[in-house]
Amino acid sequence: MRALPFILIFISLVTFVAGQLLFKRAMETSIKFGFRKDFLKVFLPGVGAMTVSFFLTLGLLQKFDLSFIYPFQGLSVIIISLAAAVLLREKLSGQLLFGALLISLGVIFVSLS
Amino acid sequence: MTPAKQQSLSRPVEEAPPARAFSTLLGNPFVQIGLNALVVTASELFLKLGARQTANLNQSLAWTGITGLASVWTWLGILCVILSLVSWLNILRQIPLSIAFPLSNVVHVLVPLTSWLFIGELISPRRWLGITLVLVGLVIVAKPFARIEEKL
Repeated sequence: MRALPFILIFISLVTFVAGQLLFKRAMETSIKFGFRKDFLKVFLPGVGAMTVSFFLTLGLLQKFDLSFIYPFQGLSVIIISLAAAVLLREKLSGQLLFGALLISLGVIFVSLS
Repeated sequence: MTPAKQQSLSRPVEEAPPARAFSTLLGNPFVQIGLNALVVTASELFLKLGARQTANLNQSLAWTGITGLASVWTWLGILCVILSLVSWLNILRQIPLSIAFPLSNVVHVLVPLTSWLFIGELISPRRWLGITLVLVGLVIVAKPFARIEEKL
């Protein structure tokens, strides 16, 4: 039972990251093919993933303090940069990763207090 | 650096005439990230003001947050949320997610600062440290792009 909040936090993070990646992929599709079927095929799952993440976070916020839930959101910065490099083949420099790591840490400190 | 130079980084194919400098500036994805962060910050402040104004309404429905809709501030907040999503998608059309997303975290600096300035919330030493870390990280992420722009 103790693990449940962390599982929910994990799912809310994964769906948030998935949503952002799908949004990015959808916008790339829109450049090539416009806002048509191919765009919606990627965009709507993105909206779905974001919706799941939103309500999971809302549910967690009803039971826990913001300062417990929110620091995990800070991790999304570093996770999204890595996922974009692996799944969307974006170029990733050491400098970009270091900057993303500092931002992640900063967000965690901002939300802890 | 001039707006025209910034534009040449983001959209090499388009060369805007000087008379359209303003729209060129708005076309720059890094300027858009700044504006997006301002709209997100505004939405958070408006939603907080809306929540504060409606905190004492019908308690049986309060847990859903739906009572917040009684305040004009909440509607302003929702409008800003929609605006920010559209602008975010427009940013993603132009630059990699691995750069755009870290930079969008400038909101974690703007929200505490504006909450401190406009609605009188306090900022603890730990939060000041976090704000500083985010700012340093933002500079490190954005700097390579500033350097490319200088060369152009």
